[in-house]
Amino acid sequence: MRRLPVYLLLDTSGSMTGEPIEAVKNGVQVMISSLRQNPQAIETAFISIISFDSTAKQLVPLTDLASFQMVDIKASGTTNLGEALKLVATCIDTEVAKTTPEQKGDWKPLVFIMTDGIPTDDWQIGLEEFKKRKTAFTVACAAGASADTNVLKQITENVVSLDTADSQSIAKFFTWVTASIGVTSTKVEDAGKEITGLSELPPPPSELNIVV
Amino acid sequence: MDDDQQILRNLFAGNNISVPKNRAALLEEFLKEEQNIKAINAVVENQNLLINNWKMDNRITDIIQQPVRILNATVGKPYETKFDFDKFKWKDIAAFQFEGLDEVGLHHDEKTKQLTGVPTQSGDFKIVFKFKLAGEPEDAAFHEKLIPLIINPDPKSLWKNLESDKNDPYWKEDNVTQFAPLGDRHILVSSKRGRAHANVGSFREDDFAYRDLDDGWSLVVVADGAGSAKISRKGSALACNSVVQYFTENSSKESLAEFDVLLQQHKNNSGDDTQKKLNNYVYNKLGKAALYVHKQLAEFATKAEVPLKDLNSTLIFTLFKKYDIGYAFLSFGVGDCPIAILNKGVTEVTLMNWIDVGEFGGGTRFITMPEIFQNEKFATRFGFKLIDDFSYLIMMSDGIYDPKFVVEANLPNIKKWKEFLADLGGKNEDGVKVELHPENKDIVNQFSTWMDFWSPGNHDDRTLAIVL
Repeated sequence: MRRLPVYLLLDTSGSMTGEPIEAVKNGVQVMISSLRQNPQAIETAFISIISFDSTAKQLVPLTDLASFQMVDIKASGTTNLGEALKLVATCIDTEVAKTTPEQKGDWKPLVFIMTDGIPTDDWQIGLEEFKKRKTAFTVACAAGASADTNVLKQITENVVSLDTADSQSIAKFFTWVTASIGVTSTKVEDAGKEITGLSELPPPPSELNIVV
Repeated sequence: MDDDQQILRNLFAGNNISVPKNRAALLEEFLKEEQNIKAINAVVENQNLLINNWKMDNRITDIIQQPVRILNATVGKPYETKFDFDKFKWKDIAAFQFEGLDEVGLHHDEKTKQLTGVPTQSGDFKIVFKFKLAGEPEDAAFHEKLIPLIINPDPKSLWKNLESDKNDPYWKEDNVTQFAPLGDRHILVSSKRGRAHANVGSFREDDFAYRDLDDGWSLVVVADGAGSAKISRKGSALACNSVVQYFTENSSKESLAEFDVLLQQHKNNSGDDTQKKLNNYVYNKLGKAALYVHKQLAEFATKAEVPLKDLNSTLIFTLFKKYDIGYAFLSFGVGDCPIAILNKGVTEVTLMNWIDVGEFGGGTRFITMPEIFQNEKFATRFGFKLIDDFSYLIMMSDGIYDPKFVVEANLPNIKKWKEFLADLGGKNEDGVKVELHPENKDIVNQFSTWMDFWSPGNHDDRTLAIVL
């Protein structure tokens, strides 16, 4: 079976303390519960959580929706986005199966990045590594006014922003991520085709601004 | 006595009362008075009580806050997971009970130290674990710890089965299974709408056809309409019908007769020359048929004022005829549907076609694409084989190929075909069996049930034709 790998890169730096981090945790929980109700997603989507603050960690390895359990996340430290990009590249190498004559590989991974700040590490090095990996699409979300959309635009052309990093906006972002994963898993199963960009995803809610 | 004195001195010190040396004797006398001894004992007792109570409360809070994760369950799927007090370091729990387990079909088995059962409902639950610690009074209330438990819905229950719209101009039956004589053999064929389509009430896009032609030839056709094409259900139907139409026309019948002559020549002197002639014949004859199908589709698209690609469909067809020297098979294929012949005794598989699998998913080719006719590979899309005798001729769409063979590399492997036949014979998860012989009165039902096999991630339309 071809899996649809989904990587969530979540900013857990100090500035996320309080409402934002709780909203992110809640957003992931609600997303997983809702995807479990989608027959195509529950069979194909595999989710991994990578957090980044003063260091990047893969909190949950690529796991099928049925077995997935959210871990507790706490906010502290700086914003090592570059390290997270490097880590997700490594995870893609080890976790995503390639197609060979003997096996059918996985679908190309979807990557969602959410950050409320400016990277504090040398993020270009991580980006270089990340760019060498093939993804179906990468979406970056700038949560609140302190995030730098210009940095995110260099990571991916698909950048959305939230005016404020409050719980309602963050919840909306995750609802949209949920819908996007749902649509992608339906599409790969039905038409055998991958989605390549923002235009093929469900329209984002009004709280989400598309950064052009 | 010394201990008592120390307790008293600590008490006095805490209240800024000093006992000078000249009052030491008085203190000793004080400690001998019965009333005072009792009071000190009471102090010690109360102190101990407070310490113990505090320790107990801490321990209870520790247990309540201790993260306990248990495996997610799935409705209908037997569940068991360790729930071992030793592992949690809960040796001091003296009494306990669960609340909320029964309701979801689970229970705690003390002997095996497991939570076990068959979950009955899905959701994000919080199981209440009630406990008392050793040392607590018997009539003390239970403490409550919440343990999260996720029960997934049964994936099968999530798929809806919505009927397709019968008023649609290109409607076709959602599921068809047939068994019929074909030539000197029989055909068993089934075409089923995939769960992905049933879930949204859309149409089956696969199709098939079979026909006995006049002069001993039999024809089997399978077509798979592209998921991304708007009316590919019509494309696949039209492709199948057009092949039948082509070979039932008078002019085609005449030239099929020519094959007999060529085969006779080939039999008499099996030189390269006659083989080449036969190949040429197949290429010309079946090439014309393929082009005819393409033209029919193009004509339809023009009339219906739709782009030709809206009719995108793969196409495979096989003609076979029994001669005294064996069976002749002629074939054509475009797309990702394999045609295989299993010899008598099933020791060898002969693949009639190569399959178009793109580098990326969905990179297949369709009969609607004009470029396939100009492509240098066009000549290799035809097959001709002479085989003494055969047990099965098998043709399938990718809805069968993907779950059962997975990759192209498995197709030439006779072991995989034996497994496939064993699967049909009942060696599968649900034990569904098809007795593949013409005398089987229940063959249509059996086959139809088998076709509904469950395979996660494989919910495409399924078409499987077996000549037996």
